[in-house]
Amino acid sequence: MAELANIPWNLILPLIVLQLILMMVALIDIIRHRRTNGPFIMWIFIILLASLIGPILYFIFGRRQE
Amino acid sequence: MTQLLQVNNLTKTYGGPSVVNSISFELEERTSTALIGPNGAGKTTTLSMLAGLVTPSNGTILFQNQPKTDIRSSIGFLPQYPKFFPWLSALEFTEMAARLSGVEARQALEDAKKTLEFVGLGDAMKKRTGTFSGGMKQRLGLAQAIVHKPGLLLLDEPVSALDPVGRRQVMNLLKELQQETTILYSTHILNDAEEMTDQLLFLRKGTLVENGSLDSIRNKYENPRILIEFETEEELVRFETVSPWMVTKVRKMATIDAVKAGVGISEVLALLHSKKFSIRKLEMQTASLEEIFMKVVMEG
Amino acid sequence: MNSFSVLLRKELRENVRNFKLYWIPIVFVIFGILEPVTNHFLPEIMKSVGNLPDGAQFNWPQFQGEDIFVSLMSQYQTIGILVIILAFMGTISSERKNGTATLLYVRPMSFGSYFLSKWIVINGIILGSVWLGFFAAWYYIQILFNPVAAGDVFAFLATYSVWIIFAVTVVLFFSAWLSTGAAAGLSIVVLLILQIIDSVIGAFWTVSPWKVSTYATMMFSSISNQSGFWMSIGVTVVLIGALMFLGINSAKRNAAKTTV
Repeated sequence: MAELANIPWNLILPLIVLQLILMMVALIDIIRHRRTNGPFIMWIFIILLASLIGPILYFIFGRRQE
Repeated sequence: MTQLLQVNNLTKTYGGPSVVNSISFELEERTSTALIGPNGAGKTTTLSMLAGLVTPSNGTILFQNQPKTDIRSSIGFLPQYPKFFPWLSALEFTEMAARLSGVEARQALEDAKKTLEFVGLGDAMKKRTGTFSGGMKQRLGLAQAIVHKPGLLLLDEPVSALDPVGRRQVMNLLKELQQETTILYSTHILNDAEEMTDQLLFLRKGTLVENGSLDSIRNKYENPRILIEFETEEELVRFETVSPWMVTKVRKMATIDAVKAGVGISEVLALLHSKKFSIRKLEMQTASLEEIFMKVVMEG
Repeated sequence: MNSFSVLLRKELRENVRNFKLYWIPIVFVIFGILEPVTNHFLPEIMKSVGNLPDGAQFNWPQFQGEDIFVSLMSQYQTIGILVIILAFMGTISSERKNGTATLLYVRPMSFGSYFLSKWIVINGIILGSVWLGFFAAWYYIQILFNPVAAGDVFAFLATYSVWIIFAVTVVLFFSAWLSTGAAAGLSIVVLLILQIIDSVIGAFWTVSPWKVSTYATMMFSSISNQSGFWMSIGVTVVLIGALMFLGINSAKRNAAKTTV
């Protein structure tokens, strides 16, 4: 517990917020766009579970344009 | 009538045999011309060369009597399967199309709205094109082709991908457009060609094999026959004995080749009347465009 | 000029609606924050979670703020470049492949405007992302490490931007010339593999586009070879111009390959 208090949250917080925004952007896009390479539900899990790399993978490989 | 477009010896070769082989034709202003031929005859390549997508290997194009290599500013082009940026709305796309063809900004938005109303997409103009059905895409394709009021409309198989209802609607739109623009369209459906055309161009393996007005091609290939169906076979036999013309018999029916026999339907009618034949049917038969197509394009 | 502004708006709309305008800057900024934070806290984290025997001593290198800029840049040199390639490899080639380019090409637009509109929008997104990423890192460096002179930071960023513009131009040129797959492959060769080769055997020469990023890092100390630096910048700028010229021509020549 003491260690938890030592973490400078004011420095880490922006990082967490940005990760959440990135995840939200990916989720909003996948739900509105609905067309993915491979199973839709798989990409939802990738976005939710693979914190930073998940949304990036979705935008680069998962999103189908046509 | 004034000439809009003159094409001389237009040729496209990709190394092997020519895809389009030295074709020449003219388009008069405010006429419709159908480019007819089976798949692979070179229809799309011909239209692509006129649209500036494909560079001709040889040949010249005169637009309004001026030699031109690029007539893109004067044309509207509709590919067979038009593809749109799925993230643009119909209105945004049509407006962009108009502006790229040189229409000034405020005018472009207004024209785009009017054109979308005209093609029946008034209610859907704010929707993204990614959600459009095939029929809606075809109409949007037509809208982007006409929004800048081009002098020449090039349409590649404008209705062949549509269901009967959609086809009817687009045909009616085209007939309306026919009043004000020159149209060159390709098709392999003869009924469409018959319905709106002043000139027919028959392509076979890249070569223009026949070219002329609907009437002149009809006259040349119609092969008129007079067909008489008698009440009984006895009547047919009696007719054969008095007929001065060559008769082909099929059961109770007699056929006379009108051109070879040099006879018209009224003379046949007069003979039938004077000798009191009892008949069921008398008619003049001409070859359908379908038969002419088979004859011109498939044979030979 | 008219067609240029129309195409520019089209590119902007595209990158807003496919979310590239949002996710790429966020990714670069996240990397920009992660780099100083991890470098600062890693020794402590290792100490607290690692079951080190009491007497064990670890000598972590003492990083200066300047070093963090350099290590963030080497992240961007791999992950960042990969993002540029994968996000924009199809910019022209996929428009051709899926047939959406057809209805643009049959209009009296110039291929110069077509290419330039894409070049400007992509460079805007990428340069914006890179600068935002370094600014975020800078903010954390001021707090966690030592202040770094603004003059050095801007000289570094300006120099590194020349390389970034070169990278974007390479990707766009290959996309104009080849199919999407080939564009990705060759971009990886030119931007990642040649970079490695230049760093391994590049001691024999001083002028090359792949040395621009190395020269950029020297802004924090001193440039060892002033003329080599300026020559490299000059060569890179000339190459950018040549690739743009070739890209415009390729786009035009390949117009016939668009799906009709």
